[in-house]
Amino acid sequence: MTPVTIQITPDQLKKSASPFQWHTILILCLLVFTYSVSWYDTGMSVGSLIDGMGYMNSYIVGNPDIEGSSFFPPSLIVSDIGLYIKAMFETVEMAVVALFLSIAVGFPLSFLASRNILKILIPGRTVLAVVVRRVLYGCATLMANVFRSINEIVWALLFVSAVGLGPMAGILALAIHTAGVLCKLLSEGNEAIDPGPVEALTATGASFPKIIVYAVLPQTMPHFISMVLYRFESDVRSASILGFVGAGGVGFYLFDKVRAFENGDVTTIIIIIVITVWLIDRLSAIIRKNFI
Amino acid sequence: MIDLKSVHLGYSDTPILKDINLHIEKGEFVSIIGLSGAGKSTLLMSIIGNIRVLQGNYQVFDYDLCAMNKKALRELRSRIGFIFQSYNLVNRLSVLHNVMSGMLKNIPVGRSLIKLYSNEEHDKAYEYMQVVGIEQLAMKRCDELSGGQRQRVAIARALAQEPDILLADEPVAALDPKSAARVMDVLLKVNETYGVTVIANLHHLDFARDYCNRILGVSSQTISFNGSPDQLFDHDMEAIYKNDPVGMASINIATVDNVKTRENNNMKKAA
Repeated sequence: MTPVTIQITPDQLKKSASPFQWHTILILCLLVFTYSVSWYDTGMSVGSLIDGMGYMNSYIVGNPDIEGSSFFPPSLIVSDIGLYIKAMFETVEMAVVALFLSIAVGFPLSFLASRNILKILIPGRTVLAVVVRRVLYGCATLMANVFRSINEIVWALLFVSAVGLGPMAGILALAIHTAGVLCKLLSEGNEAIDPGPVEALTATGASFPKIIVYAVLPQTMPHFISMVLYRFESDVRSASILGFVGAGGVGFYLFDKVRAFENGDVTTIIIIIVITVWLIDRLSAIIRKNFI
Repeated sequence: MIDLKSVHLGYSDTPILKDINLHIEKGEFVSIIGLSGAGKSTLLMSIIGNIRVLQGNYQVFDYDLCAMNKKALRELRSRIGFIFQSYNLVNRLSVLHNVMSGMLKNIPVGRSLIKLYSNEEHDKAYEYMQVVGIEQLAMKRCDELSGGQRQRVAIARALAQEPDILLADEPVAALDPKSAARVMDVLLKVNETYGVTVIANLHHLDFARDYCNRILGVSSQTISFNGSPDQLFDHDMEAIYKNDPVGMASINIATVDNVKTRENNNMKKAA
């Protein structure tokens, strides 16, 4: 066998280690160009924002002649606050049910959308094995793309037409969108696992479900918990506005009060949403700390 | 137990190893030595059916590796333990669960999925952990262990398979000399206690000489040496390390020189 020798001179070494490579500069130029064109085409203007600050201030302060049109102080009517808290609770319940449904769909789908997992399920280099793997991967990723590329609001509109106004439409909308997002996020986690333990268990003759439980899931569990908690928080936020299209929860009251210019109530509802999301964030942090 | 007659092995149609003739009996402790890239791992991986047999007759137990279906391949693999250089443990799992994963073939799917083990399975796992000296670490997570401890967990996992053959791909390459010697001691103990055939790829010639009862030298795409450590002379080592496809010869020749120097010193001492 002839030894292959590659000659590298000190000049070549310096050149290849320089941060000013032509491709780095090209990528930077492309980023700047894309950002500039997008800024210009969308009509972004810092001046308009500064000019409009006065109008925004007027909107927040409200019209002194119209009672409750100001955002401050928030409405402190106890019976109303109780109603909003109850609606917020319903919103969280919607997110919980939606999350479990989305895991039931998105979790198994994420295995079919992971090339390395498919290779464990359908090993081999035969044409049939390769074709089956590609078909399953294509179908799973297509489904996940469709699920997540359609916004929750659009899904909610579709489900409202199917099951009528109320939380169920919101739950289904959140579940289907989150299933798509979870499939994408979890499949990325699956594809990033260390193949060593899988190789070791395959070498023992273990079957597919055993390899998944002993070699894949222990590795992906921190990522899974992290992503599921993140999506739960997102679902609570999304569920808060699904009421805009009649899909139940606190969003119904929020939309109602915005339309009626009862901005004191709007502030109360927003404060309740912010406190709820903050509490969920704290809870998520505790769960992450204990599991990861 | 393992019988190769005029075997060609490769990942594609191009053979990596050619004309391999080899017979390994039950209870042997065999080491495979050779340059990096010479085909040591290829030879080892071929025993669990991971490499294509391009030509010849390849028998492991009663299985013909030239004509294996998936079921037969899984059955074959369940009888062979494999120890990897990089351990291949699930770091987030405890030592016990990693060892238990070696028994998966014999645990029903339902129980294995919820990680529910019988008393007998627990006793066996404890016994194998005792053999390698890690029973006190059973509940520790593997990412809390040192390299030597992890490799011993990997050996216990392989033992939990109750294998007839134990294959070790450079099991001590990433370890310090003390940990490496301890791992080699464990492999020898497994070989002697359970009568398990051990086949190990080694870069340390002194370990190959001290622990194994047969050495296989791989070079020039074939087995160029097959004999006991006593039969391995300087010219054999030079033949094994003569080709240098990736510039590794200097390192290995240095090892050969160290061995030569040590042998000379020993001879002087004996004289």
